[in-house]
Amino acid sequence: MADKDFSVPTLSSPEITRLRLAYMAVAMRDPNLVHMEDDYAKKSGLPQVIAHGTFAVAYVGFALSQAVGVDRVRRVKVELTAPVFPQDIISVDYTDLQINGDLTTARISAKNQSGVLVARGESTWVTNPSH
Amino acid sequence: MGVEVGHTFPKKTFTVEPHRVEEFVIALGVEPHPGWKPTKGNAVPLGFLMYVTTYGADEVHGMLDFDLLRTVYGGTDSEYFAPVYVGDVLSVSPVISSLVVKETKNGKLTFAELTCEYINADGIIAVREKSTTVERGN
Repeated sequence: MADKDFSVPTLSSPEITRLRLAYMAVAMRDPNLVHMEDDYAKKSGLPQVIAHGTFAVAYVGFALSQAVGVDRVRRVKVELTAPVFPQDIISVDYTDLQINGDLTTARISAKNQSGVLVARGESTWVTNPSH
Repeated sequence: MGVEVGHTFPKKTFTVEPHRVEEFVIALGVEPHPGWKPTKGNAVPLGFLMYVTTYGADEVHGMLDFDLLRTVYGGTDSEYFAPVYVGDVLSVSPVISSLVVKETKNGKLTFAELTCEYINADGIIAVREKSTTVERGN
């Protein structure tokens, strides 16, 4: 498919359970208890634990790598804009695709199930060679 | 804060162990790309390479003297120059590349940017990842 007809499908995450937070803490070797203990999180002004920022970052990246493969991805820039909490579901959208010769760029938005923007950014990947 | 822009942490090597990547993907619950498997020779999922995962959080946060209670991850800017596969051995020497203090209506925010260049076995920069960590107040 030529990239002029190409779009990155929306990625919807599964529910981000506390078990997922535990796996992420282990995978990252992240010692921050703000992801694990509600009492600790409340000391920092949060209502409960928050998900690691890597959830939103990874879902943004996975939406693209599912669509074009890892090898064509050149840049993923993500700014986290709001916390992600247990039970949240994240949806990632790529919009405003621009083909600039060998490279394609797009804007990224990631929102939770209430429509709150939790991350935004931009990505660049190698334009489909068949274009 | 006793640290300055340009501070470079000692080089460490990091092996992309299959079980670490598998744990990462289990946490996320989403297949990173078609045909992905947590076995050597398969492409590392995007988002896995960041300093907490590869270098260790304690040393960096200790140097920044950030209070974890008031610290959040602000985002990332990752550039990909060469493929990285499960099983690869990478070296990295994180650098504090930016420190910015902003006064906002909600108080002071300190933005620390850490740049990690992951060097592969061929001596090539495979990935350049910039993480922003933000401390509120103080």
